[in-house]
Amino acid sequence: MPTLRFLSLEWKQFRRSSFFEKGIAIKILMLLAGIYFASIAILSGVGVFFIFEKALPGVDPFVSINNYMIYWVLADLALRYFMQQLPVMNIKPMLLLPIQRHSVIRFLLLKTSFSFFNILPLLFFVPLTVVLLVQGYQPLMVIGWFIGILAISFSINFLNFILNKNTAAFYVVMALLICFIGLQYFVVFDITPYAGLLFYSFYELGYTVIFPLMLVGLLFRLNYNLLKSNFYVDGAVQARKEKFKNYNLEFLNRFGTLSTFLKNDVKMITRNARPKQVLLMSFLFLFYGLIFYTQETYREMPAVLAFASMFVTGGFLISFGQLVPAWDSEYYKLMMSQNISYKKYLESKWLLMALACAASFFLCLPYIYFGWDIFAMIVAGASFNIGLNSFITLYGGALNRVPVELNQKAKAFSNTQGFNPTQLLISLPKILGPMIIFYVPYKLINFNAGIIALALSGVLGLVFKSYFLSSIEQLYQKNKYKTLKAFSEKK
Amino acid sequence: METIIQVQDLSKSYNSNKVLNIESLSIPKGQSFGLVGNNGAGKTTFFSLLLDLIQPTTGQIDNKGIIVSQSEDWKPFTSSFIDESFLIGYLTAEEYFYFIGDLRNISKADVDELLKEFEDFFHGEILNQKKYLRDLSKGNQKKAGIVAALIGNPEVVILDEPFANLDPTTQIRLKKIIKNLSAQKHITVLVSSHDLMHVTEVCERVVVLDKGEIVKDTMTSDTTLKELELYFER
Repeated sequence: MPTLRFLSLEWKQFRRSSFFEKGIAIKILMLLAGIYFASIAILSGVGVFFIFEKALPGVDPFVSINNYMIYWVLADLALRYFMQQLPVMNIKPMLLLPIQRHSVIRFLLLKTSFSFFNILPLLFFVPLTVVLLVQGYQPLMVIGWFIGILAISFSINFLNFILNKNTAAFYVVMALLICFIGLQYFVVFDITPYAGLLFYSFYELGYTVIFPLMLVGLLFRLNYNLLKSNFYVDGAVQARKEKFKNYNLEFLNRFGTLSTFLKNDVKMITRNARPKQVLLMSFLFLFYGLIFYTQETYREMPAVLAFASMFVTGGFLISFGQLVPAWDSEYYKLMMSQNISYKKYLESKWLLMALACAASFFLCLPYIYFGWDIFAMIVAGASFNIGLNSFITLYGGALNRVPVELNQKAKAFSNTQGFNPTQLLISLPKILGPMIIFYVPYKLINFNAGIIALALSGVLGLVFKSYFLSSIEQLYQKNKYKTLKAFSEKK
Repeated sequence: METIIQVQDLSKSYNSNKVLNIESLSIPKGQSFGLVGNNGAGKTTFFSLLLDLIQPTTGQIDNKGIIVSQSEDWKPFTSSFIDESFLIGYLTAEEYFYFIGDLRNISKADVDELLKEFEDFFHGEILNQKKYLRDLSKGNQKKAGIVAALIGNPEVVILDEPFANLDPTTQIRLKKIIKNLSAQKHITVLVSSHDLMHVTEVCERVVVLDKGEIVKDTMTSDTTLKELELYFER
């Protein structure tokens, strides 16, 4: 019974994973987060029918839901590209054991069905199906529709593994998504009714459910064959080797003694999976403003806007900075036995963050479209980021002692790196800081005073730069052995 | 002979479990010093203490007049290669050498000059490979790490298990290099190994650790290898 044996191995892997070795506080927090996401999925599954009923009166809400299903498919694909990985490496020890290949592969593929990404849609679609049944839709047909949707969810699952690591496919999906949304937004062309026909047909015609079912079967088969033909240590099981990339980084020499670290960090970011992920994520942060600036409700809440404005330019700064020095954890022993000045090291990280913030700022120029008030906020937010937020983030990073595996993508929810109570505490000033610094003078004097206060806070931070760096350096010195020990622990 | 490394009442315990206990040990300048012992004897612990990567429970190590756990001034003249965690996986070998050179204030040209001496040792497998260090074989990673430890005119070089994973040709070349370091450049070299033959061939002095204690301390002679073999046969 290899399957049973596999299951027991899986259970051990799960029980002994770093998640369970965390403190009780983290466990509770993670549990709460899990419950939160699950209840959001369930609630929206229940609510979506009524939301559409209200938003588009006179149209069958079920039809509207089906129309928008295409966006779910594309967005899900894009999300999975980032988050979901085929757990192939675990099977290496199995290669030498007398187990049939096909049972290992089949187990591996079936296992992926139970991933978070397949359960979340389930939490959404089951309540929706119940609502549909209650609302008096044809029970048998609704169940047929549900099966069709489920089949599509699993197709996305398996398609993702075939496309896995294929960046071109990801950009195509992203481009399609943006294209469709854009065309619909500017009322040029609306894809949704056409796409909706397909999804609605699962209900209306019923027999079309056969297509997604066949698709799942086909994709499963494809994955199976792909894995089977690559089931060798120099095939799928092997970690991918990247092609050597070189750039001329001489221009960084202008930063003098800092350039050594700066050049190294640029290489680190461009040549490793994890920091690349952070880079891409921080690019997405640039669009954060679109959520807030376009909503009338937030227009009346400038403190929230101040927070958003900090985020648009601070994406990289925050997500990179909170993992300094963990980025260098793989070779931290080398760093600690070499003749380096912590202050130089920190300053170079700060410079990188500041440069990234400045670059994000230029990419934010189109936000002028939303008016000068918004733009002034972004300017002030960038100033706060460079002058204050950077140091707060670096300070928080120094307290983080979870090593980073550079060339491993972070996985959804198994990634608790940098997630501990101290981190939460240290993230409070990051979030509340800009809001308070803006809000108090805004309430007491006026809008411009708020902007000026926020911008000045950054300038003030720059004045005390040396002091901040020294105190972070002291933290490094104090925690040296603890950090070394934690970073050299195998995960 | 002038002493460069002086160990005083050094001990390291993890929860009352003593893993290293050296009352006194002094290593003269320019000596090639070999450390042998079974797994868990405390070799790596000793080297980690020497590099201030862990804190001693009691006692101290003095490196050229500097107490390593109190000041960082020993770093400019001390270099080491302990394990792969001393390599930066995403750099090519050259980039790594230049990075170390930068940290130790050695220009690119001087690094290149030094690398020339090791062309034989590299055997054409390290330089100009267009490969990141993480993608090199274990043996080649080790070669890069050892040579990087020689950048910047160190006076003390610490190598943990330098012979492991190396092919026979490279082992022979490495032996020559280590002998050369101590004989001609008067560099103090500390080497640990599981291979008694290598250690007795390369080192002027061999110290045996067992369960954290020094149980044997001899200057190498023709009979040392036999003695050591007898000791470990027990």
